Amino acid sequence: MLGKLAIQSLWDRKGSVILSLMAMTVSIFVLLAVENIRHQTKENFSNTVSGVDLIVGARTGSLNLLLYSVFRIGNPTNNIHWQTYEDIASSEQVEWAIPISLGDSHKGYRVMGTSKDYFQHFSYGKRHDLEFAKGQAFDQVFDVVLGAEVAKKLGYQLGDKIVLAHGVAAISFSMHDDRPFTVVGILKPTGTPVDQTLHVSLQGIEAIHIDWQQGVKIANSGLSQADLEKANLQPKSITAFMLGLKSKIATFHVQRTINNYAPEPVVAILPGVALSELWRMIAVLENTLLLVSALVFIAACLGVSAMLLASIRERRREIQLLRIVGAPPVVLFLLIELEALIITLVSCVLGAGLLTACLALLKDYFASQYGLHIEINLFTQNSVYLLAAVVSASVVVAVVPSLSGYRKALTN
Amino acid sequence: MAIELANIRFHYSKRPNHRVLNIPSWSLSSADQAFVHGPSGGGKSTLLGLLSGLICPVEGQVTVLGERLDTMNSRQRDQFRAASIGYVFQQFNLMPYLNATDNLLLATRFLKRKNTRALNNEIKDLFSALNITEKEWSVPTRDLSIGQQQRVAIARALINKPKLLIADEPTSSLDKANRDAFMELLMPMVAEHQMTLLFVSHDLSLSSYFSRVESLDDFNHLQESK
Repeated sequence: MLGKLAIQSLWDRKGSVILSLMAMTVSIFVLLAVENIRHQTKENFSNTVSGVDLIVGARTGSLNLLLYSVFRIGNPTNNIHWQTYEDIASSEQVEWAIPISLGDSHKGYRVMGTSKDYFQHFSYGKRHDLEFAKGQAFDQVFDVVLGAEVAKKLGYQLGDKIVLAHGVAAISFSMHDDRPFTVVGILKPTGTPVDQTLHVSLQGIEAIHIDWQQGVKIANSGLSQADLEKANLQPKSITAFMLGLKSKIATFHVQRTINNYAPEPVVAILPGVALSELWRMIAVLENTLLLVSALVFIAACLGVSAMLLASIRERRREIQLLRIVGAPPVVLFLLIELEALIITLVSCVLGAGLLTACLALLKDYFASQYGLHIEINLFTQNSVYLLAAVVSASVVVAVVPSLSGYRKALTN
Repeated sequence: MAIELANIRFHYSKRPNHRVLNIPSWSLSSADQAFVHGPSGGGKSTLLGLLSGLICPVEGQVTVLGERLDTMNSRQRDQFRAASIGYVFQQFNLMPYLNATDNLLLATRFLKRKNTRALNNEIKDLFSALNITEKEWSVPTRDLSIGQQQRVAIARALINKPKLLIADEPTSSLDKANRDAFMELLMPMVAEHQMTLLFVSHDLSLSSYFSRVESLDDFNHLQESK
């Protein structure tokens, strides 16, 4: 009966109730959205690389190495010698090794020199291998494989010729325009930085730099494509390399061995550890966002309470009537609390529904525009905790109008 | 005796020097129908508040239907009121957004009466006795005319079969025709159920319906106490 009374009474004041309900719904929507996207980005983030046991590069901070080798952010501190790569890659515990050579770009997208092993061994997410949407891996020196986003944004098809630029700026004045590359493969979207990368062979990287010195093109040597392809294109140095080990147990041992590698100062990092370090830094921002949405929610809670408090005055006679039919003052307290609870629960349902609808609509857009793969599952453990906190907070804030109703009932 | 008051003194706590009631002695016997009149602001509402157990006297004894209200705790008074006293206000006797049936069910809620077939039959009987047509049972009571609302108000006051019915200016918002219709419905109901009726109004023309007519000033001795 009390529930029915609360619902009918709210319905009777639908004007102000619906406005409060909307404020509450929006705030719960924002709160759930922030929490959900936070969760999803974290997942996406730690899914950027998998199956790689160690990443090796010139001695630097682990975050820096992770950022330039996996996320293609920032610049490598130094290169490492090809000999170092060969030494370590040929050691007993190593199953496979992928060399990486960075430093060139194409219209702002990074170019990565690597070997064919990359397409075979590199994986992302929950052990997803790279797959080709069209074409296949590079075979010739001047072949290039495009990430999904590069191909889509720049509108490239198989067989297109593209020119790489020296350096990583979006607008470059020194182009490798004498040595165009041919698109031979386009990868499927992965939601990782792979989508924004152009992959060429290490030999390709060597070939375009063959007559360059100190980062400047000296002169057109007149070497033809065919001459270049025949020339000795063995790289002298690379930026970093990734290792897959035969046994995971050996990881720390191999890491230590690499860190103590005498001929050259190099460092090996565990991608999982470095990723979580990176995540901890980003988490500050995410937490700030969550805090802001929590404040928005508190504001909505106070709005509902203000609305209920204002209603107490109008409902003086209702309270008097309830008292005369025998309602103890505590019933009035419970009635107002119940009204706040109903508003909150309805808002929770609406907010969650709205978010589900939005995510369903924007799922493809996020995947294609931001490479963010979202799963529509609002009922993660965190979301459930969050909703429980939302309901308790609204009950606590509603104590103010409820007490006012209680006092009115006592003095009437 | 249905009501016995002895040595009642009352003032509101915010205005301790302004005495509202000073009743040395007053009583009303069972099944009696009393009409009490007095000017507005003369303490009528306060007296009814005391009798229904909504407020407690500062001094004195309030005995209603043989029970001492001034010694009960507030929960006991709430229960007593729900079970034994019917109350009709001048206006706002009903939750305007509930229909007539739900208003009656709400009134039974605090006696912990189950929503049974027997209760539903009682409600229907009461409605038909008060000429409330079936059409009017299920519309929100705010959509009923004032006359209809006051008839539902009587039903609401009587649903728990109270022994004492208190009416606080119930006809003041009615026109003459409706007022007479109201009285002609109320008085036989009261007689039939052998209820005690305390009817408070400033409208002396209604006194013809009552065997006992009194002015509040006659037993509320404010002058003496000053």
